[in-house]
Amino acid sequence: MKFVKNASKTAILSAIATLGLAAAAQAATINQSVCVRSLNKTMSDGASVTFWGFTSNCGGMSSGLLPGPLVEVGVYPAGSGLTDTLNLTLNMAMAPQEQAPYNGHTIHLHGADVATAEDGVPETGAPVTGDTYTWTPKSNETGSYMYHCHVHTVKHLEMGMYGPMIGRPKNTAGVFLNQLTHDAATAYNYVQNYVLSTVDPAYHTATGDSTVFADYNPKYFLISGNEGKTTAAPAQTLAAGVNKKVALRLIGIHSVNGTFSVKDASGNAKPFTVYTHDGRALATPVTMTSLDVSPGQRYDILFTTPSTTGTWYPQVTYKNLRDGTALSTAYGRVTF
Amino acid sequence: MKRLVQSTIGLLLAGLASIASAATVNYTLYISAGSITVNGTGGTTMSAWGYSDVAGTTKVPGPLLTANEGDTVNITVVNNHNINHNFVAQGLTTDATAIAPGGNKVYTINLGSNSAGTYLYSDTLNSNINREMGMYGVLKVKPADGGNTAWTGGPAYTFDRVWVVSEMDKPRWNDVAGAGGTVNTGVYKPNYFLMNGKGGFDAMHDAATTVDGLLGQTALIRIVNAGQQSSSLHFHGNHFKVIKSNGVAQSAPYLEGDVINLPPMSTAEVTYYLNQLGDYPMHVHTAQQETANGVYLNGVATMIIMK
Repeated sequence: MKFVKNASKTAILSAIATLGLAAAAQAATINQSVCVRSLNKTMSDGASVTFWGFTSNCGGMSSGLLPGPLVEVGVYPAGSGLTDTLNLTLNMAMAPQEQAPYNGHTIHLHGADVATAEDGVPETGAPVTGDTYTWTPKSNETGSYMYHCHVHTVKHLEMGMYGPMIGRPKNTAGVFLNQLTHDAATAYNYVQNYVLSTVDPAYHTATGDSTVFADYNPKYFLISGNEGKTTAAPAQTLAAGVNKKVALRLIGIHSVNGTFSVKDASGNAKPFTVYTHDGRALATPVTMTSLDVSPGQRYDILFTTPSTTGTWYPQVTYKNLRDGTALSTAYGRVTF
Repeated sequence: MKRLVQSTIGLLLAGLASIASAATVNYTLYISAGSITVNGTGGTTMSAWGYSDVAGTTKVPGPLLTANEGDTVNITVVNNHNINHNFVAQGLTTDATAIAPGGNKVYTINLGSNSAGTYLYSDTLNSNINREMGMYGVLKVKPADGGNTAWTGGPAYTFDRVWVVSEMDKPRWNDVAGAGGTVNTGVYKPNYFLMNGKGGFDAMHDAATTVDGLLGQTALIRIVNAGQQSSSLHFHGNHFKVIKSNGVAQSAPYLEGDVINLPPMSTAEVTYYLNQLGDYPMHVHTAQQETANGVYLNGVATMIIMK
C-alpha cells in the first residue's frame, strides 16, 4: 500500500526532482530478486492449506508471501526517450517444487510483451532452474500487470505463485507519480492492490497430471491473500480521508468469474471510473458501478471518497463459470 | 465530350457491378452421431454429434461456412440422427423449430449491408445437450468486395483465424447422451476443453488454428465460445485490439488487452499485430480449462509464431 500524506509533499518532491538533484534517478534499472517458499495458511473454517509463495526474504526459514512482493517499474512520458528496465530474478535455492515433468519454476511477466527468452514459458524454452526476466515498459504501458510462475500453471498459480507488477508513471526527472497513467486526471491520494484469487484445496495436494485438475471446486475466495468473508472482517483495509481519490488496482489471478463493485454500509453501489485495462489506458475512461474481472485481466479504477466520514466496501463477488451464479463475496474496506 | 462522359459512367457502373457481384452460395450440412477424438496424453474418444459437409462423418466443430456481404446463402440441413435437431445462425436466422429425424430444412440467409462478421451457428434444442455434444460451427462473412478487411472500411488484416472454444463433460453428458440416456443437465463438470474441436497438443500444431506469420503482418482472429462456461483467453507476445464484440463493430481507438473473456455463446473479433520474433502461447487463463481430463496444456491452448 502506498500512502501519500498530502499533495504538497508530492509537489515538493517533484520540485526537488525538477531542480536536477534526482537526475541520476532517470532511466533506472530495477534489480529485484524473489525466491519461493512454502506457507501454511489457516483458513476461515480452520483447515490448513499449504501455499507456495514468492518472497524477497530468501533466508532458509522464511515463509512465502501471498501474494508475492510488489514489483514496480517506472514508465516515462511519451517522447521523453526514457525507460526503466526491470530485472526480476528468480532464485530457485530451496524452492518447493513438483516432480518431473513439472519440476522447477519460472516467472512470466503477465501482460508485458517481452521477447520469448524473457517470457518464462518452459514449453518455448525457458529454463526452470532460475533465471532473470527483463522488461522495459514503453510510455503507453502504464497500468497493472502481474508476475507468476508458468510451470504447470493449473497447479502453480493455485499454489499462490503470483504477485502484482505495476507500470507506474514517472516524470522526466525519474520521480514516481501518484497517478495511474500520465493523464493528470488519474492522480490519486491512496492506492491499493486488489489481487483476486480462489483456492480449491484439492489442487494444493494433487500433483502431476491428475484428474483433480479437470474439476475446479473453489472453497476459499481471496482478495490479496485473505478471505474477507464479511464487511466486519475485510481482506484488507485502507484508512483514507474525506474528499480524497482512492485508486484500486484489480489484478485477476482467480479461476472463476468475478465482479467488482464498491458499496456503502447499506449496500448501495458507488460509481467508480475505470482508466486502464491490461496495462493500456482506455481511450475514454468509463464510470460504472459493476465491473467483471475475468481470470488474467487487470483493471485500474478510481473513486473519490465523500465529504463526510464513513466506510465503503470494495468487494469482489466470485461467480460460477457456467451460469454466473454467485459463489462467495470477498470484502475490502475503505474508511474516510 | 459526351461520349467520354458516357463511357466513364459505363466504366463506373462496370466497377460497381464487379464489387457488388452478389452470389448464391449453397451449403448442405448433415447431422449425424459419431465420435470426437482428443489426441495425446489425457485424450480420449467420446460420443459426439455434429454438423458435417460429408454425410456420415461427424465433425466438431461443423464446417466453416463462408460468404460475402450481399450473397444469398442457402443452407440445407439434413437430420440423419434419431432425435430432433435444429440450426440457428445467431443473429442471422430465427427459425428454431425442429428438424425431425430423417427430415431436412433449407435456411436462406440474405446477407445485407453491414453483415460482414463472425457468426456462431448451433443447435439450440434439448437443454444445451445438442450443443454440448458438438453441434456448432461458424459462418464467416467477408465484406462485399471479398477483401481482407473486417468489414467495408474496417480494419485490414493479412490473414484470419477462426477459434471455436468449447467444452465437453464426457462421463456425465457425452457418455450418457451418446448411449441414448437422460443427462442430468443440472450437473456440468466438463473434463475436456477444446480449441477448434482439438486438445491443446493438437491445436498448438494445427495450421488452421495457430497464428503463424511474418513480422509486420496483422492477424484477424474470430473467436466464438460454443461452450457453456466463460473462457478467458490470454495472449502472450503482444496485446490485441478488440474490433468487434458480439457482432457490434467497435470504434477506433480500439480497446487493447492481453486477456479477453468470452461468455457462453458470445463472439469477438480481435486484431493481433505480429511485432516481434518468437514463439508465444495463447491459452485460457482459467486453470482447469487448460487441461484434458487434468493433463496440462491439452486444453484450450495454441501458439503464436512470429517469423
